[in-house]
Amino acid sequence: MPGRRLARWVAAVPMAVLALATIYPLVFTANVAMKTRRDYILDRFSPAGSLRWDNLAEAWAGAGMARYFVNSFVVVAFAVALLLLFGSMAGFALSQLRFRGSSVIFLGCLAGLFVPFQVIMVPLTRVMADSGLIDTYPGLILAYVAQFLPFTVFLMTSHYRTIPAEIVDAARIDGNTVYGVYRRIMLPLGVPALLSVGILDALFCWNDVLISLLMMPSPEHRTLMIGVNALRGQYSDDIPTFASGVLIAAVPVLMIYLFLQRQIADGVTAGSTKG
Amino acid sequence: MPIGGTSPLVRPAGSVRADGATVKQPRRRQDARRGRTERLAPYVLVAPAVLIIVILRLWPLVLGVNFSFTGDGELNGTPVGLSNYLALAGDPLFRTALRNVGLLVLLLPVAVAIPGMLATFIYLRVPGHRVYRSVYFFPAVLSPVIVGAIFNLMLGYDGPLNAVLGAIGAGPVDWLGDPGIAMFTVVGVHIWATFGMALVVFLAGFSTLDASLLDAARVDGASLRQTIWHVIIPSLTRTIQFVFVTTMIGMLTSMFGLLFVMTSGGPEGATYLPEYYIWHQQGQMNQPALASAASTVLFVVMLVVGLLQITLLRRAGRQD
Repeated sequence: MPGRRLARWVAAVPMAVLALATIYPLVFTANVAMKTRRDYILDRFSPAGSLRWDNLAEAWAGAGMARYFVNSFVVVAFAVALLLLFGSMAGFALSQLRFRGSSVIFLGCLAGLFVPFQVIMVPLTRVMADSGLIDTYPGLILAYVAQFLPFTVFLMTSHYRTIPAEIVDAARIDGNTVYGVYRRIMLPLGVPALLSVGILDALFCWNDVLISLLMMPSPEHRTLMIGVNALRGQYSDDIPTFASGVLIAAVPVLMIYLFLQRQIADGVTAGSTKG
Repeated sequence: MPIGGTSPLVRPAGSVRADGATVKQPRRRQDARRGRTERLAPYVLVAPAVLIIVILRLWPLVLGVNFSFTGDGELNGTPVGLSNYLALAGDPLFRTALRNVGLLVLLLPVAVAIPGMLATFIYLRVPGHRVYRSVYFFPAVLSPVIVGAIFNLMLGYDGPLNAVLGAIGAGPVDWLGDPGIAMFTVVGVHIWATFGMALVVFLAGFSTLDASLLDAARVDGASLRQTIWHVIIPSLTRTIQFVFVTTMIGMLTSMFGLLFVMTSGGPEGATYLPEYYIWHQQGQMNQPALASAASTVLFVVMLVVGLLQITLLRRAGRQD
């Protein structure tokens, strides 16, 4: 059918334009990061002659980005570990065990999903301050766990629902306790879902601005994203170094994306089709 | 089969007597203890999640509503009735923030239609469809801070976007400095950064589509537009509904990062959204009670918008 084939090629044009519009901003930023200040002022569009590492080194050292990296890494690692532990425990109980109050508890977790952070940020900050957790690593970790736990519980529950009850029964007859079933059967069977939801949780925490801004006010506790924003003031007259800092902060996530694209997409869609 | 609530180790009474009580007695006590810990196990497993969600999400919601009826500063903690809400109603900055929410609702169809159309093209195997899927999705994983910083460069007076405009003969635009344009710019960047998410969800919906319907349409000689309108859209009502709701929630809750990096609410407060207003009142102006009132208003707005959307879409779905 020639008309159909033609229509496909016509559709390909806006798609290509949009793909360019998606990629170009990053290419432009990377190119700026490789220029000298003088080159940037003279012509910001021409391709940079060669790789320049001194901008990157200056952004890394001058802005103290190593510190922000470590802060972000520690907080995200602990938050994701706790999210996966608590999420899989609750998901297993809510999907495979029948107990009094389980449907109320599941609904309660769902309700948490529909409470946006913006709505509770003022009282939550106060609760954290009252318990001495503000401006501490445990405080920020706990805030992230609270923020993404409903989503994690929801996804783990719907994943564990797909596991046949016979597997659990068989493990019980073999003499496992409920905890044994969780540790020996459910954790290993949950790995694909844990991977997807863990990557998404990690991305959410790593990319967050608002929560870390509220929970970690002091400069030495800044997470990477808040640190990157601080670069703007520091290098307002040195755009190539600023662009280098932005690039450094973007690289870890881009790497993860390149390697784990499928898992990320699975996590995003899991809620839409299985729910 | 339920496992938590049952007591699988309890035997019929007759068997105990037959075996002799002296051997059985201690074992039965042990069994009973084991049965109890087993019965408690589900609660132990859900306890951390429930405690965290209740204490750090649901309880603050109640606290916040309660807090919004108390005073700030010297009146800290004393009940003041509705005066925070009256103050909000009289604050032009908050009114702008609400008006901008209205603008988001109006722009929502655009934010859904773009990924919807692209997903359709990808599904119909436009040349290069595999590559497009990964390319479109990649901004969705970037932090708003990174996206905002990149677009501050892109939208500069001498930046690439104005260069493109110059090439086609249009004058440069002050994307982030013109109060009439800035909000559209920020929303545009938000759409740029997030349409990949919705695209992936649409594609997941397409994968559940019945291929024989499409073949039937092809045999009947339906045009591309007819196929989309009469086959694809009706079969995807649920997915479209889901994308509408999640995109709306995304627009209402996750634009703080962009506002924080790109405009800081400016120019002249033109890019205020409720979340930015709440953050500003709480942290910068030290008026947490007023900020709580704004939070409560935002929560009500989101509930109303969400419910309206669900009813409207459900009605539209029924007509098909």
